Amino acid sequence: MFTRLALRMAATVLVTFVIFAPLSSLVLWSFTRRWSWPHPFPQELALFYWRKVLEGDLFRALQSGFLIAVIVTAATLVLTVPLAYLLARYPVPFKAVILLVFLLPHAFPQLPVFVNTTTLLYRVNLAASFSGVVLIHMVGALVYAVWTMTAVFRSIPESLEEAAWNLGASRLKTFLTVALPLATPGLVASTLLVFLYSLDEFTGTLLVGSPFVLTLPVYMYRTSVGYELQVASIAALVLMLPGLVLLVVLERHLKSEYLSMFGRL
Amino acid sequence: MAAPPLAIVVWLFFVPFLSSAHLSFLRDGQWSLQNYALVWRLYKIDVLYTLGISLLSLALVIGIAALVCGYIRIVGHRAVEFLFKVPLFVPFVVVGHGMRVLLAPRGTLNSALAQVGVVDLSDPPSVAFTWIGIVISLVWKNLALAVLLVLGAYRAVDEPFLEAARNMGASTFRQIRDILLPMSAPSLVVASAFMFTSMLASFSIPLMIGGGEPPHMLMVDVYYRINYQDDLGTANALGMVSYLFAMGVAGYYLRTITARPL
Repeated sequence: MFTRLALRMAATVLVTFVIFAPLSSLVLWSFTRRWSWPHPFPQELALFYWRKVLEGDLFRALQSGFLIAVIVTAATLVLTVPLAYLLARYPVPFKAVILLVFLLPHAFPQLPVFVNTTTLLYRVNLAASFSGVVLIHMVGALVYAVWTMTAVFRSIPESLEEAAWNLGASRLKTFLTVALPLATPGLVASTLLVFLYSLDEFTGTLLVGSPFVLTLPVYMYRTSVGYELQVASIAALVLMLPGLVLLVVLERHLKSEYLSMFGRL
Repeated sequence: MAAPPLAIVVWLFFVPFLSSAHLSFLRDGQWSLQNYALVWRLYKIDVLYTLGISLLSLALVIGIAALVCGYIRIVGHRAVEFLFKVPLFVPFVVVGHGMRVLLAPRGTLNSALAQVGVVDLSDPPSVAFTWIGIVISLVWKNLALAVLLVLGAYRAVDEPFLEAARNMGASTFRQIRDILLPMSAPSLVVASAFMFTSMLASFSIPLMIGGGEPPHMLMVDVYYRINYQDDLGTANALGMVSYLFAMGVAGYYLRTITARPL
């Protein structure tokens, strides 16, 4: 009995260490004012860099990234909800082809494709612009939303809508008063994850946005490879925060179908 | 109603995808296989390097997830279950940076280990900027998804099977090996196929934690080819190689899910 308890404790400690080792290093570095090698710990801890960074470029990157994510999420929601409902309920023509198109970005490496997307956007003068970045985020966001939201509508029993039709409700009224309210929790979860996707997107933003549009992941990458370790660590912590909040809120409801996409951020 | 979202994905993914294939066969405006010849000459090691790293990371992820999930499923451990979900929402760039800070020669891990006398600070070993750093980062990030998928499959296995095994005196390990694993094999195959493509296509982690010298992982090669050589032809030929692997995995995946009775 005692050894079992000890084993459980050991497992918790080990896993905590493995999971938090890279994350706690970030926390340590973010508060470091001076840490010269080979000192085991920072010689001077301070809020210096936090203060410095939150007033400067980091805040601007956060702001534009946030704005992009809001626009991407709103547009995705408006475009996807009707489509997902149609795909889940009606015999849409060429349904297989449509679903295949929405499967492609999921099944192929994105970077080499986005390289060509960037060339394409240059031709229509949208590269290195705010709208270009919104558009490139829309690709991943739409794919993700179409798959999850179709699944959400499919999980609602069709008999409820049939009952509404039998009582004389129109298709539109049925959708608005029966299907939509029932689907709301699933749609909210999916929407939150679309928002997080856009906030964390790196590859497309780096290719399409450079050099003018700076979001937090790109800013963090630049500072990290430029060895501005304190600044990068603060950016990393700020970037991680929304995801961790979401994890705590959604933990019980996390289903694999909502998350497979997050293998690719 | 389907038109606008479909148009965006076709315009910004499907068309560039085709143009990627097209451009890979063009050199100076002429049809040629020169780009592929260059890929063969310069990048065959990198292709093997990418495959090797992806396969090793995948084996580690699936192996660890199979055992950890078995433990969580049979014995139960809420804290460990929660902890393993944390990397799920930590973006790849943050993982890359965190691992740089942790594993670099002058990183926090060496610093901490030196305190207990394991590491000699005058000649600190470097794990970051090598293939080991990439593998550790990929495993760390992908474990969360693997645990989620495998645990889902394990939880779908009915309790009486495990009870029967326990009554016959099977240890936790035997229950995992002889009951949970075989019964959830199809889900494991799907999870593996999916993760293999995402590891093959991983970009920010090898970009941040891979070494400066070749070999690089494929996506990093594509990026450097564009950024430093401005050579779309070869970059796209490299891209085509990665699509081929992804296509192979997708084919395998489709065959598995269609072969399974619904």
